[in-house]
Amino acid sequence: MDAMIDDDTLDRQLRDAAPYIDDEGFTARVIARLPAVRREPRWLRAMVLLSLTALGSGVAYLLSGGGRYVREGVVQLSILPIWVLLVFAFGCGLLVGAFAVIFAIRKTPEVRDLAQLRF
Amino acid sequence: MELTDAQLVSRTLVDDDHHAFAELVRNHQSTVRGLLRQLTSSDTSLADDLAQETFLRAYKNLRSFRGEARFSSWLYRIAYNCFREHARKRKELVGIDEEQLEREHDPQTIDPGLRHDLMHALSLLPLHERTAVVLCCQNGLSHDEAARVLDIPLGTIKTNVLRGREKLKRTLAAWGPD
Repeated sequence: MDAMIDDDTLDRQLRDAAPYIDDEGFTARVIARLPAVRREPRWLRAMVLLSLTALGSGVAYLLSGGGRYVREGVVQLSILPIWVLLVFAFGCGLLVGAFAVIFAIRKTPEVRDLAQLRF
Repeated sequence: MELTDAQLVSRTLVDDDHHAFAELVRNHQSTVRGLLRQLTSSDTSLADDLAQETFLRAYKNLRSFRGEARFSSWLYRIAYNCFREHARKRKELVGIDEEQLEREHDPQTIDPGLRHDLMHALSLLPLHERTAVVLCCQNGLSHDEAARVLDIPLGTIKTNVLRGREKLKRTLAAWGPD
């Protein structure tokens, strides 16, 4: 070994001398020791969503005087100019579309990675 | 498409994706196990146990990884803490260094078959210098990153790297060419 070895050469030799350690089941042993993923069953999530929707609809129906306000609302909408209805429908579409995009990004790892977003 | 560490961390956190975490383990297992082998004086069994503990702790504390430092630096810090806790329990930190400090001044005691083995020369350094050299020279961490991994002042890490390098050079020169 050269007695005048410089820092860069020494560092390079150190990096070269460090052997790559083969995995040989190491990763599998680590993953086997990870705590199990706890997810609620899908049917339970579906039931909770359906129940809440039904409950919300029932409350809304009762509060609207057995649907009277809904009927009146539809009648009032029908007498509005057509361009107002179009703008209203377009706005609703934009709002729903925006929510759909946000949830799609949150639920899709590939899209999230592409967008480089942190959630 | 090869995912970055940040993307794999994100997938692990958001989707509790064990496959993403497995990819992180695969990417870093060699360097983490290598570091721990150096710290444990090539006790591969102990080093692998500590490496497993390192990755398990990393998984449990993944939310505390803010992405300010490199993921590898964050892992090294956990690995070093695992080693320190283990050494403290077995009171090995002081014992190992005293023995090695004595041996490093006597190159004649070294197995001639290992004289040109750089890794063996490295293993003869005192623990604090060996750790600094492995992190900075072998794994390419900056002094600042290594200081954060080891939780010591920047000046101390610079001194340890400098002394470690000089001792390595002296040892290798003393062994000389056959």
